[in-house]
Amino acid sequence: MRTATIVLVAYLLCAAIASFWRLLPRIDDAIPDLGALTAAYLGLTARRQVSPAVGGAIVLGYLIDLISGGPPGLVALVLALTTLVARAVQQRILVRGAVISIAFSAFVALVAGVLALLVRVLYRVPSAAFPVELAHVALVTIATAILGPLVWRTFRRIDAAFARTHRERDAALEGLAP
Amino acid sequence: MTLRRRLVDWALTGLLILVPALVLRASLSRGTPSALDQALLRITAPLEKAVSWVVEGIGGTWSRYVALADVEAENRELRADNERLRKDLAAMTRKAYDVAALEDLAVVKKRTPADTLGARVIGAPLSPQFRVLRLTIDRGDREVATDMPVITSEGPVGRVDKVYGDYADVVLISDPSSRIDVVIRDPAQPAVQASGARGLLVGTGRADAYACKIEWLERQGRAGPAEAKVKVGDEVVTSGLGASFPAGLVVGKVSKIIGDDGMFQSVEVNPTVDVSRVRAVMVLLAPPPPPDPDAKSRRRSDFAFGARPL
Repeated sequence: MRTATIVLVAYLLCAAIASFWRLLPRIDDAIPDLGALTAAYLGLTARRQVSPAVGGAIVLGYLIDLISGGPPGLVALVLALTTLVARAVQQRILVRGAVISIAFSAFVALVAGVLALLVRVLYRVPSAAFPVELAHVALVTIATAILGPLVWRTFRRIDAAFARTHRERDAALEGLAP
Repeated sequence: MTLRRRLVDWALTGLLILVPALVLRASLSRGTPSALDQALLRITAPLEKAVSWVVEGIGGTWSRYVALADVEAENRELRADNERLRKDLAAMTRKAYDVAALEDLAVVKKRTPADTLGARVIGAPLSPQFRVLRLTIDRGDREVATDMPVITSEGPVGRVDKVYGDYADVVLISDPSSRIDVVIRDPAQPAVQASGARGLLVGTGRADAYACKIEWLERQGRAGPAEAKVKVGDEVVTSGLGASFPAGLVVGKVSKIIGDDGMFQSVEVNPTVDVSRVRAVMVLLAPPPPPDPDAKSRRRSDFAFGARPL
């Protein structure tokens, strides 16, 4: 239920951002990668089993594929792999505080961008010239890093709402892995 | 978490990752998809359709009812576009009308056996009943002179009345001062030049119509008395006499028989030219050459010095 709620909220955020981000002057090309942030959060906060987090990331990725008009499965695969990367990171670092949140958001966006490039190359999906793609990844990374803390906070609130004890709730709001 | 559960979890994760990988492969396959791809597409197509329906529903609600930020600006832009396109359309329609009028004039010029000059109508004073009283054309005293006939492809319009500077006034055939020698042609027998009934077409000067009349129309023509009787609908054409209009121009049709005293008939004629729509005219600069009476007969000149060929 928690994963489904996070996926639903993430999807609504993606739809909202897709609607109004194009209205922003000059930065309409630097769309924050909310899918990667969500996948990373799901991987980072996966309790004992990783499969629900991966499943949630795949569903979200598939929905993003549908609204973005890309080949079905591309973002889903990238987000699934991003979840696994975040899961691997979870056991090594603790994402707390604004600076770490921003840095981790940038890292996640970078990883998702590079993974998307690799998947495209692997599946021979037509893409722009390599420097253009890199510039786009850089822009998306910056935008994701700026928006990251806000998204983390939203997801932590959802986690806190699903907490069964006060301790779990406080831990969720603090950004501690459950 | 036991090792077995952990293995199951990772196996499930692997399977989950395999699903988008296979879907992506199937969606990107070109040509005939493999059996696996076909099966995947068959499974995912209804799912995709259902999800798309929900997603598009949410997106449509959002774009139709919530995200209307730029609708006003777009509406303003579309209104401006609409106005500009309407102006363009009006200008193009006017040009097309001018072109059609000029094409008509070219036809007239080609078939008229006289020196002609095209002119554009630049003014048309109206009566209180919105009837055109006369036309003003853009040809002046260096090009035209008074009493020169003015025609269109549909028939005679009138004659030049006044010339001033670069402009000239044309008095219409419906004006009481207009006089044209005409003959009647039976529309059932267009090959016959005329029934023989001849008369003088005079404008009525009516305020509500462009009507003309023929007061002293001969009852007896070349075709005999019975056939010469004029009927409503008979065509009135120029006779070519009077050294003004060339012969055979359709002036109008008999619309009403006003009187018949046994020797002469009096009829009303409705002109074919709608002067309220005339945009360009042709001025006949010189009268057409008189028809050669011996044009159809074979003539052979005398042999020189009385010599005959062997």
